Amino acid sequence: MEPVHLLIAIIIVAFAASPLPLLLQRCGRGYAALAAALVMAACLTVLAPLVAPVMGGTTLLASFAWLPDWGLALSFRLDGLSLMFSLLILGIGLLVTLYAYYYLPKHDTLGRFYTLLLLFMAAMLGVVLSENLLLLVVFWEITSLSSFLLISYKRESHESRLAARIAFAVTGGGGLALFAGVLLLGHIAGSFELTQVLAAGEHIRNHDLYAPMLILVLLGAFTKSAQFPFHFWLPQAMAAPTPVSAYLHSATMVKAGVFLLARLHPALAGSELWFWVVSGTGAITLVYAAYIAFYRYDFKGLLAYSTISHLGLITLLFGLDTRLSAVAGVFHIINHAIFKASLFMAAGIVDHECGTRDMRRVNGLFKFMPVTATLAIVAAGSMAGVPLLNGFLSKEMFFAETVGHPVFDEMRWLLPAFATLAGILAVGYSARFIHDVFFNGEPIDLPRQPHEPPRWMRAPVEVLVVLCLLVGIFPQWSIAPILHVAASAVLQQELPAFHLAVWHGFNAPFLMSLVALGGGITLYALRHPLYAFYERLPSVHASIVFERFHNGLAGFSAALVNRLDNASLQRYLALFFTFVLALGGWAWFSAPASPLPVVTQPADAASIVALLMLALAAAGVVVLHRQRLAAIVFASVIGLIVALTFVRFSAPDLALTQLAVEVVSIVLLLLALHYLPPASPAEDSMQRIMRDAALASAAGVGLGAAAYAMLTSPFETISNFYLAQSVPGGGGSNAVNVILVDFRGFDTLGEITVLAMVGLAAHALLDKLILQAPTHDADGRLWARERHPLFLQMLMRPLLPLALMVSVFIFLRGHNLPGGGFVAGLVTGVALILQYLASGIGFAAARLPQRLPLFLAAGLAAAAGIGALSWLFGFPFLTTAHGHITLPLIGEIELASALVFDLGVYLVVVSVVLMVLAELGKLSLYHEEKT
Amino acid sequence: MNLVIEFVVASLILLGAAFALLGSVGLARLPDFFTRLHGPTKATTLGVGAMVLASAVYFTATQQGFSLHEIAVMVFLFITAPVSAHLLAKAALHRSAPECSEEIDDAGK
Repeated sequence: MEPVHLLIAIIIVAFAASPLPLLLQRCGRGYAALAAALVMAACLTVLAPLVAPVMGGTTLLASFAWLPDWGLALSFRLDGLSLMFSLLILGIGLLVTLYAYYYLPKHDTLGRFYTLLLLFMAAMLGVVLSENLLLLVVFWEITSLSSFLLISYKRESHESRLAARIAFAVTGGGGLALFAGVLLLGHIAGSFELTQVLAAGEHIRNHDLYAPMLILVLLGAFTKSAQFPFHFWLPQAMAAPTPVSAYLHSATMVKAGVFLLARLHPALAGSELWFWVVSGTGAITLVYAAYIAFYRYDFKGLLAYSTISHLGLITLLFGLDTRLSAVAGVFHIINHAIFKASLFMAAGIVDHECGTRDMRRVNGLFKFMPVTATLAIVAAGSMAGVPLLNGFLSKEMFFAETVGHPVFDEMRWLLPAFATLAGILAVGYSARFIHDVFFNGEPIDLPRQPHEPPRWMRAPVEVLVVLCLLVGIFPQWSIAPILHVAASAVLQQELPAFHLAVWHGFNAPFLMSLVALGGGITLYALRHPLYAFYERLPSVHASIVFERFHNGLAGFSAALVNRLDNASLQRYLALFFTFVLALGGWAWFSAPASPLPVVTQPADAASIVALLMLALAAAGVVVLHRQRLAAIVFASVIGLIVALTFVRFSAPDLALTQLAVEVVSIVLLLLALHYLPPASPAEDSMQRIMRDAALASAAGVGLGAAAYAMLTSPFETISNFYLAQSVPGGGGSNAVNVILVDFRGFDTLGEITVLAMVGLAAHALLDKLILQAPTHDADGRLWARERHPLFLQMLMRPLLPLALMVSVFIFLRGHNLPGGGFVAGLVTGVALILQYLASGIGFAAARLPQRLPLFLAAGLAAAAGIGALSWLFGFPFLTTAHGHITLPLIGEIELASALVFDLGVYLVVVSVVLMVLAELGKLSLYHEEKT
Repeated sequence: MNLVIEFVVASLILLGAAFALLGSVGLARLPDFFTRLHGPTKATTLGVGAMVLASAVYFTATQQGFSLHEIAVMVFLFITAPVSAHLLAKAALHRSAPECSEEIDDAGK
């Protein structure tokens, strides 16, 4: 296989195989662990043939188009930096897998744990192997998600869930900022591919959008890497099981932020802003977190703050922005991952064996678990920067970089002093960890009797501690090659000469190390007064602050929603009209003066009379709106006059539709009204009525003015195009129908979808509703005994086939003459309503199809399906094909694919009408059964 | 169009118009609900029916083939008009609409 294909195979294997532990857990927890380990080993095996070329200095790229228009591609990159991170992720992943098998309780079948762990690993590999920045953001979000799920692994505990929520809010929010930043970066660089972005560094730094883009990207990196002031989620995340803390929250995921700094270094670094923001944040985090760590009595919390502090150190190194500082940053990423993972595992062993993490009780464990204690002491020594251990080497490099940094020319002592302070604190908390846990007297009141852990639980710690020593003693031989290619990948240029060695001579950095060691021990010796001082400081709990903020936000939203949305339709309408009036008024008064109105058509007597009647009927509805029946009669007058107006202005299609709609809606309204009292009581105050009247008149005047302006301004419309193209383009001489099913078919598809939703909503709302229909009318008279007069029943039956025939006729001729699926559907609906009215719901329900939503779906499927069919022939969605055939009696009809589309419209309309009818009918069926 | 057809169409239209007029006068002048009901029913069945028939004759004569739409319209009218009149009468009976008590003699006094 091609090397580049292997690159994609890694990601595919990792993602595809992540559910394996979940599937295998029924065979036993060992199988789940084995599956996870095998997946990681498989990824390593796939990676193995790629190591040699990358170590030789080549960058492997593999790319597949995904959404090319958006610049998103499935493109991957393997260079030194990605290789180093991949090895860390897979290597530590394997150790954590082994460790977790022993750490997690025996009754846990582990399937969920290992699946989440593999999912996280796959996403993390995706982050470090992405060549496309958008792809990187996608994987980045998956790491946040899987981290959320892993932190809340003990899901029955409130503390875990809260911690997971905090972590997700912070890292997820940062992910959004990163997304925005990456979009800007891609816009500036002209591409989302790293190769192009990294090459465009000069252009990016001089761009106007550099500052906002940099801040957004850094927000993403800092939240992920728990930099001050976003650090608070990481100590909370210690609620996760310790293997998760060791893997995600010390070795890998929190490194994603500094990985991003390293990855984008050539593109973003090298400006004043970068220097001040990145090194400033890093320096504050470094010292602040080290200071807090010293005071933690929960040793996992101590390690968490020390992780934050070390991440601050790495950030500071990338911010210092000399070439050697970037090398030191990469070096410290490796070293920190190794010693911190082993420390977390050792801490987990202690926690596991003692049942508590409180250093005020966990004391003197050296004599209970000497091997574990030795391992932990070595790792903690590395954390403190003791010579012959790997942490010493990178810390030396850090000290060397602070001495004589070019920016602090005036105060060249400042940066080294700061670094030394951080070093003192680091030695202090390391000393506290070693001394408090393993020495310092006898254990106090432990829940369990501590002893050495199982043999293989300790193995991962041993491996990592051996690595600490190996790197610390033989750096040039062990770590230099991979560091070299990784640092070259970060800088994208030749590395400065540097030499990894334990002994560089008696120079300033060595002196600083000595001061740090001595100072740290002194600090620890003076701990009691310091603790007493710290105890008196007011303490702030991040989780409480976060919860308060979160609850406040939720409460505010709820209050806002309550004020706007109090379930009063009157208020919605009032708000809506006020808004529309404001918008319309703004548009009206801010628009430039329009040309003088042109009156194109003189008014004739008939139109004037019709319009007066329209106004009268509208007024009638308003005045009589409490007498519902009378109001409906007036409303139907409005509908009929509107239909006549359509006829007057040569729109037979609209008139036909209006008539049919009018009939259907009046009948359905009458059915619904049956359940309401015939007159509604007057409840509104005069003030309210005045307000509503003013609002309604203003809206009416506004709409009238807008219509007048529209109708009297001379402008070209698109109608002539449609009229001209109707026959050649759509194959029908009825332009209205051709527009509906062809030219603007996508609109129609949307509209029938909305109609279908309305039908379903009515169905859902009315389905289980039971209403008490009144037993007598307004005057107290009982309803007539004969519910369904025989005369009506018998004469309506022959009407059904006749009406259906008309409906078919209207449907078929629709493409050329007034008609079409919509009107035909309404006519069918009216015909069926008639049967229902004449013979009752029992008769109709026995003969109508029961599963109307199926017909609804069929209609939508027909309309969308015929549209999609045109793809098969290489045309865009909803392209129609047409031809004419002639049938006897009916005449020439259009046999276009649009006919199927129209059939879909027809089915949707009929089913919606019937659904509403059937639901309203069911209410009265209930009533009939009762009486 | 020959003279015979012209004559037929004209007389059908006049007949329809006469029935419509008579129906309207009846609706306006007759004394109570039940008698008034007769007016519009005649106007819709016979009046509109004659007009529609005139249309059918006219278009059959002037265009190719039979004009069948009008026949359908007539069938609908002849089914629905009596039914609606019947239902109106039943509703009035149910509500016990006031009946005109005095006898109306045919001379129209």
